[in-house]
Amino acid sequence: MTLSPQDDGEVRDTPAEVDAAFRTQRRVAVTYFVVFLAVVAAFPVLDMTLEWWLESRLVGNLSPGFLSVAAGLFVIFAGIGIAAATLSSSVEHRMLGSQGDAEPDAEDHDFRREGRRP
Amino acid sequence: MTTTAIITLVAVLVIVLGVSMITRPRHSSTVDFYLAGQRVGVATNSWAICGDYLSAASFLGVAAAVYVSGLDGAWYAVGFAAGFVPVLLLVAAPLRRYGEFSLADFLGRRLRSDAVRLHSVGVVQLVILCYLIPQSVGGGITWELLVGHGLFGFSPYATGVLLSTAVIAVVVAFGGMRGTTWNQAVQFMLLLAALLWLAAVVSADGFHYGEAVETLNSQPLVNPEYVDGSWEMTEERNAASPDQPAVFGEPGARYGQLGQVALVVTLGMGTAGLPHVMNRYFTAPTGRAARTTTVWVLMLVGIFYALAVMLGTAARDLIPGAVSEHPWLQELTVDGVLRVPEHALPVLGRIYGDQAGLGLIAAAALIAAMSTVAGLLLASATSWGHDVYERHINPRATQRQAVWVGRLFTLAAAAAAAGLAIALSPDAFTPAMPSLVATMVTWAFAIAGSALTPVIVLAIWWRRTTATGALAGMMTGAAGAIAMFLTASFMEASTLRELLAAPTLVAAPAAILVTILVSLGTRAPEGVEADWAIMHGTAADRHAERMAQLTLRERRSRKERGGAR
Repeated sequence: MTLSPQDDGEVRDTPAEVDAAFRTQRRVAVTYFVVFLAVVAAFPVLDMTLEWWLESRLVGNLSPGFLSVAAGLFVIFAGIGIAAATLSSSVEHRMLGSQGDAEPDAEDHDFRREGRRP
Repeated sequence: MTTTAIITLVAVLVIVLGVSMITRPRHSSTVDFYLAGQRVGVATNSWAICGDYLSAASFLGVAAAVYVSGLDGAWYAVGFAAGFVPVLLLVAAPLRRYGEFSLADFLGRRLRSDAVRLHSVGVVQLVILCYLIPQSVGGGITWELLVGHGLFGFSPYATGVLLSTAVIAVVVAFGGMRGTTWNQAVQFMLLLAALLWLAAVVSADGFHYGEAVETLNSQPLVNPEYVDGSWEMTEERNAASPDQPAVFGEPGARYGQLGQVALVVTLGMGTAGLPHVMNRYFTAPTGRAARTTTVWVLMLVGIFYALAVMLGTAARDLIPGAVSEHPWLQELTVDGVLRVPEHALPVLGRIYGDQAGLGLIAAAALIAAMSTVAGLLLASATSWGHDVYERHINPRATQRQAVWVGRLFTLAAAAAAAGLAIALSPDAFTPAMPSLVATMVTWAFAIAGSALTPVIVLAIWWRRTTATGALAGMMTGAAGAIAMFLTASFMEASTLRELLAAPTLVAAPAAILVTILVSLGTRAPEGVEADWAIMHGTAADRHAERMAQLTLRERRSRKERGGAR
C-alpha cells in the first residue's frame, strides 16, 4: 500500500516547506501551461494573419503551417515537458527534505518561501 | 481465411496470452491486481501508458482523419499528444503521491465525501463506455478486412468485435494490472514497429512528403458519400475560407479557426481525466517517477503521431495510383478514394507488403484496440470492484473476494461494450461522421475533460475546494458536455456546431467556475494541510527511494557473499 510520510517521522516535510514548495510549483505549472495554451492558440492566429505561414516552403518542401502540425508541435510539447519536469524536480530537491540534514534557520526559511536558493 | 490471416491471429494470441501468463499476479491482493504492486519502473510504465493510450482511434483513426480531412485531421494527433502536457504540469506527481486506487477514490478521499466518490464512479463509467465502444469497433473493422468471414453465424464485423473483446477480457480478468502492464508495454513496441516499417517501405518506394502534399493541394479535396443508394464524390466545404475550395494541406476541410482550438483543448484537457490512463500513474513507485514517466510518454507519442500523420498523407497520395495494379482495391474505393477512411493503413500495408503487410498492420490494429480495451476494462473493474464494492457494499470483503468481484465486473463491462459496438456498426455512420472511431473517442475526452479534469486539478491545487463544490462542478461539466455534443450532432455545419462538437472549451471553464463559486459558498474543508503534505511534499518519495537503495544494496551484498563462498 502507499507509503505515508506520517508513518515515517525521520523523512517528514514541515508544513512551511511544503507550502513554499507548493507555491513555487504552482507558479511553474501555471507559467508552462500558459505557454502551452499560447502555442496551441498560435496556429489559427498565424493562419489568419500571416500569408507566409501557409504559402512558403521550408523543410521537405512543406509549409510552416503543415510542418508545425505534422511534427513541430510534438517537438514543442516534448520540450515543454522536459523543461517543466526538470524545473519541478529541481524545485522539490532544493526546497524539500532539509529536515534530515538540519533544521533550516530563519533566513534560510525566508529564502525557501521565496523559492530561491539560500 | 488466408494463411497470413491465421498466422497473424495466432501471433497476436501468442503474444497477448504469453505475456499475461509470464507476468500473472503471484498474490491475490487488490494492490497487486489493480496496481501491479506499485513497483512499475519509468521505462516500462511509459511504454505501458503509450500502449494504453494509443488505441484504435490513434492507430486507425488519426491516419483516417488525415486521409479524409488533410491537415484538419492532423489536429486529432496534436490534441491526443497535447493531453500529456497538462497531465505532466498539473496532475501526475501529486496524484501519484496521494496514492489511491483510482480517480474516483482519489477525489472521494481528498474531499472526504462518499457522494463525490460515487458520482465520480458514474462519470468514470460513462467515459469508459464512450472509449470502449470505438475500440471494439476497431477490432471489428480489422477482422472484417483481415479475415472477411464470420464465425458461428455472426457477420465478419460482429465476429471481430466479439473475439477481440473476449480475449482481452479474459487476459485482464486473470492477469490484473501486472499482466496488463507488460502486455501494454510489449504491444506499444509492436505498434510503433508496425508504423516504422510502413513509413520505411513507403519512403523507400519514393514517397516524398512535401511533394505529396503539394500534389494533393493542387486539387479540391473530395470524398465519397453514400447518397440515395449509391456512392458519389462530394467536394469538402472550406470552413476556414468559405469562398475557396478546401484542399488537403491547408486548414478548413473540417474545422474553422475556433473549431481547431476547441478540438485540441477538448482532447488536451480530456487526457487528465481518462481513468484508464490516470490509473496507470498509481502504479509508479514515486511522484517523481510518475513525472519522469510522463516526459517519456510525451516523446514517444510525439514520434507515433508524427508517423500516423505522414502515413495518412501517404495513403491519400498513393492509393489512387495503386488501384489499376491492385484490382482488390476497386471494391474498397470510389474513384481511387477509400470508402471507409479507417482502411487507410491496412490498405497501405497490403499494397507494400501484400498479405504479410496487411497481416502486420491488422495485427497492430488489433493490438492497439486490445491494449486500450485492457486498460479500460481494468479501470472499470477498479471503479466497481474497489470504489463501489469494497468501499460501500462489502467493506469487510477479503482481498480474494474483492479481486474476484473485479474480475466479474471486467467480464460484464466487456460484454456491454461488445454488444453496443455491434449495434453501432460503422457502415451506418461513415457518411455522416468521417472517421467514426476518432469521433466517438472525442466524446469520451469531452466528458473526461469537462467533468473530471477541472475537479481533479482544483482538488490538487486549491485548498478551498469542497465536496459540494466538486459535485456541482462535476455535474455541470458532464451535463454541459453531453448536452453540447448531442446538440451538435443535429446541427448543420457552422462555427457554433464546431464549438459544441468539441465542448470542453466552454464546459470546462463552466465546471471550474461552478466548483469555485459553490466551494466559496460552503464551509471550508478541514485537515487540508495533511493532504498538502502528502501531495506536494516529497517525504514518501524520498522514503521509497531510500528503501529501493537499501534493497539494492542488500541484494548486492548477498550476491557478493554468495560469490565469496
